[in-house]
Amino acid sequence: MQARYADGRAAIYTDVEIDLAPEKLVIRRGDAVIEWDYADLARADDKNGLIVLKRRKPDTGERVAFADWYDDQLAAVAPRLMKSRAQGVEGRFTVGALVTLAWSLAGLFLVGIPYAADPMARAMPEKYRTQIADISWSQVNAFTAHCDDADEATQILNDLAFRIMERSQVPEREAIWITIADASFPNAFALPDNSIIVTDELIGMADSPDELTGVLAHEIAHIEHNHIMKNVVRQIAAGVFFDVVFGGAGAGQAIAIASVNLAGLRYSRGDESDADLRGMDYLDAAGISTGGIARMFDRFEDYAEAEGAGDIPTMLSTHPASRERAVAARQRAREGLAPSLTDREWRIVQQACGGADLTNEDTPANDVEQD
Amino acid sequence: MTAEAAPTQTFAHSGKFFNVLGLALKNAGLTIITLTMYRFWARTSMRRRLWSRTWVMGDPLEYTGSASELFRGFLIALPTFFLPAIFIFYIAPLAMEGVWAAWLTFGFYVFSVPMIAAARYWMRRYQLSRTRWRGIRLGLAGSAWGFAAASWGWWVLQSLSLGWYTPAARINRARLMWENTRFGDQPFQFIVEHGESPQKGMWLPFAMGWISFAIIVVIAPVIAGVISAYVSMTYGESIDPELLTYVPVFLVLGVAVIYGIGWLVCWAPYNAAAMNRIASMLTIDGARFKLRAKTLSLLGVTALGWLFIIFSLGLLAPVAGFLQVRYVLNRLELIDPPRFAEIGQSVLTDSNAGESLGDAFDLDMGVGVI
Repeated sequence: MQARYADGRAAIYTDVEIDLAPEKLVIRRGDAVIEWDYADLARADDKNGLIVLKRRKPDTGERVAFADWYDDQLAAVAPRLMKSRAQGVEGRFTVGALVTLAWSLAGLFLVGIPYAADPMARAMPEKYRTQIADISWSQVNAFTAHCDDADEATQILNDLAFRIMERSQVPEREAIWITIADASFPNAFALPDNSIIVTDELIGMADSPDELTGVLAHEIAHIEHNHIMKNVVRQIAAGVFFDVVFGGAGAGQAIAIASVNLAGLRYSRGDESDADLRGMDYLDAAGISTGGIARMFDRFEDYAEAEGAGDIPTMLSTHPASRERAVAARQRAREGLAPSLTDREWRIVQQACGGADLTNEDTPANDVEQD
Repeated sequence: MTAEAAPTQTFAHSGKFFNVLGLALKNAGLTIITLTMYRFWARTSMRRRLWSRTWVMGDPLEYTGSASELFRGFLIALPTFFLPAIFIFYIAPLAMEGVWAAWLTFGFYVFSVPMIAAARYWMRRYQLSRTRWRGIRLGLAGSAWGFAAASWGWWVLQSLSLGWYTPAARINRARLMWENTRFGDQPFQFIVEHGESPQKGMWLPFAMGWISFAIIVVIAPVIAGVISAYVSMTYGESIDPELLTYVPVFLVLGVAVIYGIGWLVCWAPYNAAAMNRIASMLTIDGARFKLRAKTLSLLGVTALGWLFIIFSLGLLAPVAGFLQVRYVLNRLELIDPPRFAEIGQSVLTDSNAGESLGDAFDLDMGVGVI
């Protein structure tokens, strides 16, 4: 059979005769005879119209090329060379192993680490927590303003929070501090250093002290259950996973950077439900009706519908629908309990940051339909 | 039984569009279900397909690289690139003062400029060392860091000259790359005829490209603003206010599309001229090359490639690479063939680091076209 042979020492092919013997490929070049075991051979052609054979290891550069109309003869003596593997195509085992590896990594970083996020977050050195808190505070300061007239209101809210926490023996009760901030949006959120920020717009949105107290209880629960740092761990794990698996394309970095920003301090659905339940436990223990937080959930749902999903306050921005949460809170509500703040205290709180004047009927709170 | 016959031209690419598209689609599917871990195998199979359909004087190129080499390169890049990157982007913001962490990030990006150039060089070295023709291996000598330093200097000159140094920089880069390229034991050379400018024929299309694109850069936002103002004045009251909030997004997208199309059209004559010029200066053992790239055909091929990349979110980028390779090879000629019998096997050592950083920076969009 006519073929061409390259000896791997010069960039030329020479015409040769080959014989597809049962065990070996026999190459005759003039008087010289070269024998190649089929077991040592691989294909170098990728089905391009030629059959090009080469020795596998070491690759000396020797090649034998002949037309692929001889593939039946080759298949008869060396069926292995007709398979995709001989062309260098990976087998099913490789693909299966890759799928397993990829999804195992995904499981580790996206399920395993989040599952162990609580102990990991608690083991995180304090200085990391402080650093993350500093970054969060820089964001808070960029979007809110300090209120010069809110000292008394701040003290009232902190006394209220302490009273609630003491009844439920919240371990962080000495460390938690509530700050009222002047902002153009209604919001409340906890920071990694156990601070809770409440905006004046949120206070203005509340129609009664119990509504605001319910929000505070919810945020305290996030702190007690370490949801903030758990979320940071979860997001960093996701970031590392996307960075490594996707080849440093930057998606992971974006997630990790977001995780230490305010935008990243969003909780999972489970965390939100957990904080709802724990927050209502506080209220029950402190003798405060959960009807307030139920009305606040409704109010947020109305707000979300009016403003669009993008403007939903952080506290209520995650998955559980506010109407469902309102129903759950209403089922636990008790009648005849005293408000969590006196009228005087509530009036002072409402006036923080030049906030809502009780004589002004156009406050946002009064625009919202009550329960 | 012969599926494809060897072409008779000196250079030719016999790849069929749907054959390559089929492989690209299969690779895309496996890449998705393996969360991109298949990308090394995808890249290897696509190169094997493209190389084996590249015919030079009736004999095909051969790609001998393996996916496991690329995967090993990725594993090498984990500690050398990814771990420092993970520290800088994840740990430093938590463990260090904000200012220091910011400086570290800035330093990382500054260092990335020469690093990308070095990665490109390593990638080319790997690909050439895994490319054979008639059993003879190609190779790339020289220092990747030397190339990176020179590239960085040219990049600075390009920036300082507002881009006007670009033709010279392009020739310099090509010269450095090609003069270190070997086919077997024969070096390629970059020869400029006595008295000729290395950038001969490139300046006029470059100037046209620069000026016309500068005009587009200025005019596109103005046109978009005028259209926007006209629409809001004429139909402002009848349009749904919610729809109006998307106007800035449409504007930015519109300007981006105009910039993209403008970039393609304005620079196509220059790109064709530069490719032809670089080919004309290449020699190996006295043989010369001639490329007949034309503005309109190059524009069409490039635009088609962009469409594939954009609408497949990059998954079908290899198809774009195939179109470019086929375009160049089918327009390339060899003048006075070299004495192939005199060209011996390469003595350069194999590259064994894979394309680690090339993968990290995603330099080749999944193919790696030499």
